Amino acid sequence: MSSLSEALVQVVEQGAAAVLATVIEVEGNDRLEAGAKCLIRDGQVRAETIGDAGVVEAILRESAVHLQAEKSKLVSLNMPAGGGKLEVFFEVLPAPPKLVVVGAGHIAVPLVKMAKVLDFHVIVTDDRLAYANRERFPDADEVLVGDMAQMLKEMSITPSTYIVLITRGHKYDEPCLREIIHSQAKYIGMIGSRRRIKACFQRFRDEEKIAEEVIDRVYAPIGLDIATETPAEIALSILGEIIKVRRGGKAASLSGHQN
Amino acid sequence: MPGQGTCFDETNPEARKKESVYHQVKEFLDKGETLAVATIVSAKGSTPREVGAKMVVTAWGEILGTIGGGCGEADVKREAIEVIRTRKPRTVRIDLLDEISSDSPAVCGGIMNVFIDPWWKERDQEGSVRK
Repeated sequence: MSSLSEALVQVVEQGAAAVLATVIEVEGNDRLEAGAKCLIRDGQVRAETIGDAGVVEAILRESAVHLQAEKSKLVSLNMPAGGGKLEVFFEVLPAPPKLVVVGAGHIAVPLVKMAKVLDFHVIVTDDRLAYANRERFPDADEVLVGDMAQMLKEMSITPSTYIVLITRGHKYDEPCLREIIHSQAKYIGMIGSRRRIKACFQRFRDEEKIAEEVIDRVYAPIGLDIATETPAEIALSILGEIIKVRRGGKAASLSGHQN
Repeated sequence: MPGQGTCFDETNPEARKKESVYHQVKEFLDKGETLAVATIVSAKGSTPREVGAKMVVTAWGEILGTIGGGCGEADVKREAIEVIRTRKPRTVRIDLLDEISSDSPAVCGGIMNVFIDPWWKERDQEGSVRK
């Protein structure tokens, strides 16, 4: 039988998302002791030393919220029918965030560098080998050359994926956006002037019949309002926006998005 | 901002991957040692590290990881050794407001609750792991 520590090591090594819930205080339940644990991975209980199906069920339900928020938290659980009052610490082991940079132009270079400093798993993609290559992106985890929309279609996109559309023109951004707009990505940002973005969204409404709340997901124009001038500054404003979305901050986005 | 260097750590994802707290825990348990894992479970005010930050204490008083350098770490270590001895977890309240160790670079000024939990091999294998 494998151990809890082994299961936790696997979570880290496989880059999985999990929650380790630990009971740290018990009131009015003699069958349960502080230190009892429950490991949840992929929405399932992988290991537990709690031994009370009702409590495990309550912990499993509660864990989803914290995993989604990527925030560890101490929670009081009032169990019905003599189950007592529990203090449970939900430790979130989030999947490492993945940043997909679509378009390997002049903003992508500082963007990839900075994203590596911030511990993202970074994928950069372009259809031009002269741009999407190792010399230009020595820090990237993956450099992919090919049709950008097609690659996005084949890519695994999860709630810990952040996507930045900064191709060389709307002709390319639009088909890429169409591929990912219904995905689970936590963040989709697209570069471009307000006028072009407006036209793009109008086509999405008219031709694709894409719902308003779906279009509203897209952060466009991309980035935080910090009056950028250089490519590196634009990269910084994009990553600032991504951190804001990830952590739940309040800084002003150029697109007017709150959080 | 003084103390950042001592209070924050673990910036390299590769290093984190290979040397996560749980890698260290497993390594010690495999050797048959009892450990205490101290976790910040709640915090108020200015604390050196975030909720969820962990520190491992061995039976010999060796410390791996940090919950904030000078800020209350000595208290936690002392309690952790008791936790290892008794194999009973406890929650310790660390009040950083009173700490008058101005020579320490890690001057903070919040309150945090640290859960200190004993881990040993037999206990680690108790949970019915489902594949």
